[in-house]
Amino acid sequence: MSAWRDRSGLADGAREKLAELAELMIPAASGMPSAGEVGVAGAQLDRVLGVRPDLREPVLRALSNTEPTGQLLANVEATDPEAYVALCLVIAGGYYMHPEVRRRLGYDGQEPDEVRAEIIPGYIEKGLLEPVLAQGPRFRAAPDETDRSRKADG
Amino acid sequence: MSAKEAAGDGEIPRVDALVVGAGCAGGVATLRLAKAGCSVVCLEQGDWSELAEFPAPRPEYELLIGREWANRPSLRGRAADYPIEESDSDIEALMWCGVGGSLIMYAGDWCRLRPSDFRVRTLDGVADDWPFTYGDLAPHYEKVDIEFGASGLGGDPSLPPGADPPHPPLPIGPAATRVARAHAQLGWHWWPGTNSVLSVPAGGRRVCAQWSTCQHGCPEGAKASTDRTHFPEAVEHGAKLVTGARAHRVVLDGRGRATGVEYLLPDGSEHRQRADVILLAASAIGTPRLLLLSATPGSPDGLANGSGLVGRRLMMHPFANVCGYFDEDLRGWNGHWGAKIVSYEFYETDASRGFVRGAKWSLYPTGGPLSAAVPTNPQVAPVWGSGHHRFVRERLGRGVNWGIFGEDLPDPDNRVTLADGLTDSSGLPAPKLTYRLSEEARRLLEFNVERAEESFLAAGARHVERQSLVRDAGWHPLGTARAGKDPSSSVVDGWGRSHDVPNLFVVDGSVFPTSGAANPASTIAAFASRAVDHLIAERTNQKVPV
Ligand SMILES: Cc1cc2nc3c(=O)[nH]c(=O)nc-3n(C[C@H](O)[C@H](O)[C@H](O)COP(=O)(O)OP(=O)(O)OC[C@H]3O[C@@H](n4cnc5c(N)ncnc54)[C@H](O)[C@@H]3O)c2cc1C
Repeated sequence: MSAWRDRSGLADGAREKLAELAELMIPAASGMPSAGEVGVAGAQLDRVLGVRPDLREPVLRALSNTEPTGQLLANVEATDPEAYVALCLVIAGGYYMHPEVRRRLGYDGQEPDEVRAEIIPGYIEKGLLEPVLAQGPRFRAAPDETDRSRKADG
Repeated sequence: MSAKEAAGDGEIPRVDALVVGAGCAGGVATLRLAKAGCSVVCLEQGDWSELAEFPAPRPEYELLIGREWANRPSLRGRAADYPIEESDSDIEALMWCGVGGSLIMYAGDWCRLRPSDFRVRTLDGVADDWPFTYGDLAPHYEKVDIEFGASGLGGDPSLPPGADPPHPPLPIGPAATRVARAHAQLGWHWWPGTNSVLSVPAGGRRVCAQWSTCQHGCPEGAKASTDRTHFPEAVEHGAKLVTGARAHRVVLDGRGRATGVEYLLPDGSEHRQRADVILLAASAIGTPRLLLLSATPGSPDGLANGSGLVGRRLMMHPFANVCGYFDEDLRGWNGHWGAKIVSYEFYETDASRGFVRGAKWSLYPTGGPLSAAVPTNPQVAPVWGSGHHRFVRERLGRGVNWGIFGEDLPDPDNRVTLADGLTDSSGLPAPKLTYRLSEEARRLLEFNVERAEESFLAAGARHVERQSLVRDAGWHPLGTARAGKDPSSSVVDGWGRSHDVPNLFVVDGSVFPTSGAANPASTIAAFASRAVDHLIAERTNQKVPV
């Protein structure tokens, strides 16, 4: 935590402001935890900035906006699109990296799941290629194509 | 042919063949030459990649692909990359610089041009014919299908009959099955995609594990890239691959023959490699850049540029994206990325549409939770606050994309030149792209975007999002050293041989006279295969000057 605060040169307030904002952006609802519950402005922020140091500067710029937290996001979106995107990525990036969030979403996208080519594809069983095949050749014949006796040219 | 020592040029060893660029074309060329017994050196500015370094399994994956593992070299900014000046371009170029070239990042959508693509002038009265036909290239398409381990289903009626892909097709998954059913009902073409991704183990490589991260490195090694499919074998056959070697000049002798290439290593040291024959395979941006960097007082417009076309006629396959969202969870993040299914329904010219030529469609996944929460489509605003979780749930796993690759006709004003003031990590001028999308290509994209929306609605999509002309989607730069018969209107002949410098060849995507609309890697590989087989045969017959 402190690394970000130290290098940012901003007081503790920046991280707190981010935490407040994140809670408004991603509240607890629909069986999902809030941003604060998974530490979006804490350990998750450090992880995000660890791999995306380029986001630090625009996020700090966004947080230096003096609007009250309720209006800050809309204000940044209107005045500094780059900082807005950075803010969204930092908050959503930290949130959706959290294992508990992924578990509740049922997201197993980054786990290996080997192809089994021996399974007959459903589209064959259901005959979904038959209408395509019934139409016959679909490519446009090109002159010279049939003249295989022609000497291939450089 | 065996290695020769330098004659008269100090200690510099001389080899039969020198290849610049260890990507798609460079891999095919280097292996073919080495297997034929040639002494061959390949210079590559980047390095090897390890499977373990690819970001696929990391929780930070979706953040990493926005920077360190981005497709855009200008974003990654690695020392091996070169930056690209793109402020005058409607499309930003994507690539990878390292052994394997852009295949490290490609999606593995492995498809062929159609016969009409080789006869655009004859059939549609625009652009140019290729100096050879689909039939001439077909045996090489079949060779490279085997070398790269293509997985697919034979019998696609949008192609002339020929050998089936060597491996069975990859599973298409539930979302593509829905869309396939809709196309069957609409009477529209669809076919399971052919991908250069293994559906069964082969060649010591593992089978696809459906990470859906193909465009940022395959952690299984299941996706074919020449660092796995070609270079290890080439090295076994005696080829020498020099990594970190940035070629910056092709050197000529007084008779106008190429004698070698000068290159820089990362420590700044200068080196020179001599060779009888030089093959450029540095991509349709890297190759014209090198030819322009090789200008001399005698040829101030760049090497091999008697036609004035080096760098010109840049084509990029303008890309549009249409995303269909469905009510049920279709695990839209899962599977290979390339093409689950393809459609060539709108590929061939139909003049009643108001434009000639067409587009190829590939159905591909939608990504993970971060891209669901913060859409990459700038026209779709994220939702925050109480609606956020619903917004994400309605998107994650429920969407699937039609990627639309449009044909862009060659325009001499669309081009690669050398940038003023922007340099790579060796201090060499970066390439600059000037590219404007024609009105006709815009109409072509718009037409196809509308049809793709119809496809999704017929498949039962609840909601469709469109993005016409995606700016950061220049995955297919082509055409900047075009092949042709006439030296006044082309840079190389149909075998890739320079009209001006008889022992200089271009074998990469630069040679395309027109772009077609199909993803180009298999055509690039097939061109290199045909050109190098011919070169080897001619050298055996002593026709190529040494
Ligand atoms: C994200 C992405 C997705 C793609 N998806 C697909 C797809 O699904 N299907 C498809 O068909 N195509 C796809 N492509 C395109 C495909 O990868 C390229 O068309 C193909 O790799 C180009 O082959 P090439 O040999 O011309 O160049 P490359 O494969 O790019 O190789 C060029 C090599 O030359 C090296 N080089 C350049 N300049 C120098 C120099 N001066 N000195 C030394 N070395 C140099 C580079 O470092 C690089 O390694 C994709 C590309 C990208 C970036």
